[in-house]
Amino acid sequence: MSEVQVTKSIDARGAYCPGPLMELVKGIKTAQVGDIVEVLSTDKGSAVDIPEWVNKMGHEIAYLENDGDEFKIAVKKAK
Amino acid sequence: MEQQAPSLAVILLSEDLEKLHAGALVGSVASMSGMTVNVFVTMNALKSFRKDSFETTDFITGTIGKEMLAKKIPLFDSLLQEGKDMGELNIYGCALAMDIMDWQEEDMIDVFDGVIGVTKFLGMTQGATVITM
Repeated sequence: MSEVQVTKSIDARGAYCPGPLMELVKGIKTAQVGDIVEVLSTDKGSAVDIPEWVNKMGHEIAYLENDGDEFKIAVKKAK
Repeated sequence: MEQQAPSLAVILLSEDLEKLHAGALVGSVASMSGMTVNVFVTMNALKSFRKDSFETTDFITGTIGKEMLAKKIPLFDSLLQEGKDMGELNIYGCALAMDIMDWQEEDMIDVFDGVIGVTKFLGMTQGATVITM
């Protein structure tokens, strides 16, 4: 998991749904194709919503880890 | 057949903070997910879009709305602005309600793309999924 080279990490812990998703969308929008954007979140909804958005928009989940109430989701910008 | 982005119409009728927030939330996420979103703000919902409502936090709230205000989470204005920034989301005020109340667009928070009638809104949302709050 940790071999993945994260281009940008966004700390959205403490933000309510859909805050972490919004922060990720902003991060992906300004990233280059191939970049990996990681978002840290404590919102359970985002752990489900972010992969849904990523699949819908045609990007890729690089990893999704959770440690207690904290989620770490990395997304590779595919287009 | 002509292909176009899936379209969502959100009609905000109520001044209840929870309904405004839920409508704005669905609209903003839809916009970020590639949908074209048109929001029509009409009747009592318009009151909550007035600048003075935000200045005095004058919103109608239930259990969750009170907690949203207490926790100072970003409200529907912020969600709608994010939807505009991250995708295609347009917001229109209802000409009838604005006229009845003699309210001007400059009385409203700065998220509106215009004041229009229902005919125009129906024209731009033909075939769209409609959500009414």
